[in-house]
Amino acid sequence: MQERHTFRIGLLGLSFVLMVAALYLVFIYVPPEKEMGIVQRIFYFHVPLAWVAFLAFFIVFLGSVLYLWKRESKWDVLANSSAEVGIVFTTLFLITGSIWAKPIWGVWWSWDSRLTAALILWLIYIAYIIVRSFATEESRGARFAAVVGIVGFIDVPITALAITLWRTQHPGPTIFQGSLSPPMMLTLLVCLVAFTILYCLLLIQRVSMKNDEIEISRLKELGS
Amino acid sequence: MRFWRKVIAITWKDTLSEMRTREIIFSVLVFTLLVIVIFNFAFVASQETMVLVAPGILWVTFAFAGVLSLNRSFILEKEEGCLEGLMVSPISREVIYVGKMLGSLLFLLIIEAIALPIFAFLFNLAVLSLQLVVITVLTTVGFVAIGTLFSALAVNTKAREMVLPILFLPIIAPIIICAVKASGLALSGEPWSGLSPWLQIIGAFDAIFLVVSFLIFTFVIEE
Amino acid sequence: MENAGYLFAAFTIIWAVVFGYVLLLLNRQRRQQQEINSLKEASKEKQAEQ
Repeated sequence: MQERHTFRIGLLGLSFVLMVAALYLVFIYVPPEKEMGIVQRIFYFHVPLAWVAFLAFFIVFLGSVLYLWKRESKWDVLANSSAEVGIVFTTLFLITGSIWAKPIWGVWWSWDSRLTAALILWLIYIAYIIVRSFATEESRGARFAAVVGIVGFIDVPITALAITLWRTQHPGPTIFQGSLSPPMMLTLLVCLVAFTILYCLLLIQRVSMKNDEIEISRLKELGS
Repeated sequence: MRFWRKVIAITWKDTLSEMRTREIIFSVLVFTLLVIVIFNFAFVASQETMVLVAPGILWVTFAFAGVLSLNRSFILEKEEGCLEGLMVSPISREVIYVGKMLGSLLFLLIIEAIALPIFAFLFNLAVLSLQLVVITVLTTVGFVAIGTLFSALAVNTKAREMVLPILFLPIIAPIIICAVKASGLALSGEPWSGLSPWLQIIGAFDAIFLVVSFLIFTFVIEE
Repeated sequence: MENAGYLFAAFTIIWAVVFGYVLLLLNRQRRQQQEINSLKEASKEKQAEQ
């Protein structure tokens, strides 16, 4: 119990340090981008959010496969927690993408290939949560959600491919194009690591809470 | 060989009961026509605009018709208690999947075969090209591949009819995109080479999800 | 410094959402711990009675 707590505090500290470093890099270190000006700095958080959202979904996929294979509740807990954290990050990705689009392109939403694919991903995550709550019993909910987690994850690359192909036919406002200079690369990477650590932290927190919930229902059953 | 014989038995059972009641085909067909008509009112436009929106209208209609048809097919099973009967009998879950899938495929293709000429008539468009037929068949296979899996899942939940569209529509988004794009190209006389990237994606989708659904189906209908 | 307002809004939202989520989790966990403790107490009493 104690080591777990210290580990989490350590992770929190690391996350904090990385975030501060990221903020410094984003706001002070990196030079402004020529075309888009200061708003472009949203990019340094926007892209890592997308990466983490996809990572989270991959963990949902792994957890779902392992749950269906081994039927151990811990895999379902992992998948469920990752889905929840993933939704938070995907929502943030969509919101920041929208805020970025408005001053640059004058529209709140552009059917940019990345935003559109993220929207579909978001909808699949939501379906994952909904299916779980609409099942008649917990174990069924876990099984059904696992199916959605697996099918959804396989679907996302296909969707991204289709949308990208569609976009090359209908070019329009896109969020980002162009190459990165070394300082920009460094800033992006640091932000990437910072958000990944944050994801791990939130995931661990959520998993332990889910385990507590299971513990509570077990204790209730024993008591009654 | 025995596998296919069992599959055909299930498909035949579905087809037979459908032929007697014609419940699914008639209701979904009427629904399809109504949606096409309503869409026509939604886009009060010239013939040129119609050519642009027609593929979209067609595929939204077929997507909704697919949801309805897939829903009905499993709900009927559940109501009559057939699902338990199927599971108790000595056939593997995969047989049930393929059997139900082929049945749904058949129904949807019949509905589409009737709806397409009517669509051509209402929109003054040449929809009876081989290209469009191929696009439709390929996309419908994708629909039933994933739809059979999800409707078996949905039927076992509390909200039944509501769950299927929530699951189904986001997942088929890529093949809808491709079908709409390819249909548009086909209607404007594009040769096969122009269609091929889109058809490849639909084909890949079909292959992948036929296999995935086949493997996962057993987890959905076990007790 | 045009569009600085948008930049500020974007970052503020990111922090607000992440912060809010963490707060939510912490609150829920505190309540869960309380519940676990009270349940453990109740079961101890039951065992003492028996």
